[in-house]
Amino acid sequence: MPDELRLEVLDRDGAIRDALEEASGSSRATFLKTAVVAGGTFVAGGVLVGGLPKLSVGAPSAAQDAKILNFALTLEYLEAEFYTQAEANGRLRGETAQFASVVGAHERAHVEFLQGALGSKAVKKPRFNFGDTVRNPQMFQKTALTLEDTGVAAYNGQAGNLTKETLAAAAMIVSVEARHAAWIRDILKTNPAPAAVDEGQSRQQILSAVNDTGFIQA
Amino acid sequence: MTSIQLEQLDVDGAIRESLHAVAEDTRGGFLRKAVVAGGGLVGGGAALAALAAPAGAQSASDVNILNFALTLEFLEAEFYTRAERAGALKGRLRRFAQVVGEHERAHVAALQDTLGGSAVKKPKFDFQGTTDEPQLFAATAITLEDTGVAAYKGAAPSIQSGAVLTAAIGIHSVEARHASWIRHILGQPPSPEAFDMPMSVSQVLAAVQGTGFIAGPIMTRQGVAPAFLG
Repeated sequence: MPDELRLEVLDRDGAIRDALEEASGSSRATFLKTAVVAGGTFVAGGVLVGGLPKLSVGAPSAAQDAKILNFALTLEYLEAEFYTQAEANGRLRGETAQFASVVGAHERAHVEFLQGALGSKAVKKPRFNFGDTVRNPQMFQKTALTLEDTGVAAYNGQAGNLTKETLAAAAMIVSVEARHAAWIRDILKTNPAPAAVDEGQSRQQILSAVNDTGFIQA
Repeated sequence: MTSIQLEQLDVDGAIRESLHAVAEDTRGGFLRKAVVAGGGLVGGGAALAALAAPAGAQSASDVNILNFALTLEFLEAEFYTRAERAGALKGRLRRFAQVVGEHERAHVAALQDTLGGSAVKKPKFDFQGTTDEPQLFAATAITLEDTGVAAYKGAAPSIQSGAVLTAAIGIHSVEARHASWIRHILGQPPSPEAFDMPMSVSQVLAAVQGTGFIAGPIMTRQGVAPAFLG
């Protein structure tokens, strides 16, 4: 299912999918099936897709919640898989191993929660390649710090775009991401709380940062 | 300072580069401004700046939530300020009190700016000796920070103004960082559950009143009890 994942990565603000769905009148499921079947065609469509106007984020709605939760699910898949692989590789020791074990269980619980909330609308798990970051303890620590800080910024950036009900659920996750971030920062002897306010980042900012890691395989 | 940290942390520089490319006000930029501005930390952060909208722009409901938050922030800020002044803390605990105290004072200032004449006054506090003894300080800090996380989480979905929500949610995760940090210093699980549960206003008030830390009435400048007290 790499095409499906690729779509999530490329689709910076959901505008592509919306526009394509609108144009074709096809459902999301049908569209995704088409994308999977078409394979390379999607990549070729990049130029066309890039020329579409950006759709601004609208008022909170159930449909918008689903988009944002799928964005969150993609990040949680990434985190969960990162910790699961690091633990499976067995190179971590001491408190870092404990951190990976505890935080990995949390991220897997977040994945399960978001999958449950999204039901059939949930995106599938991408394929990942974490390289040496899941084998080398020092690289693992630095990457964990970046992933957790990024998770906080991603959830914080979406708070105002969610319906109140979904916001209440997301808030139960984001503070746990912040706890993870402070924990790994303190392990690394870096300021666990570097600012008085954690600024949010837009979905586009987060996706381009994640995309540049190369962790998500097309 | 912050950019050096980021360089050490960022595996291949890619994340930092793309964040810098898209975000004008990165965390590094925010901190640099805060350092330059000195006491002007409040004006430096986009989220806190957004919170400090013209006084009177908030709905009665948001004023109520903001005053509830301000009361908790007064409590936290005063706790750390007094602990720092008492001088009993050493090493990691001392640094924690310094950094976190600065954050809580910034939260107080931002909330006061936003509320203007509607802000509650700072109550009288009696920390019952917890600011004078390291072990008591640390145990109390855990409770205050965990409660702060649960309080913001419980209140956030009721906030009407987008700017207030953005600021509150940005403070919420910082309180969680504080909670995790002090838990780690004490050898307790920094992140005990996969989901942090919220607390209602009345649950938080009952917990705070149980400490006996608030030694005087909570009053607005007009000399009346704020609406969140019921």
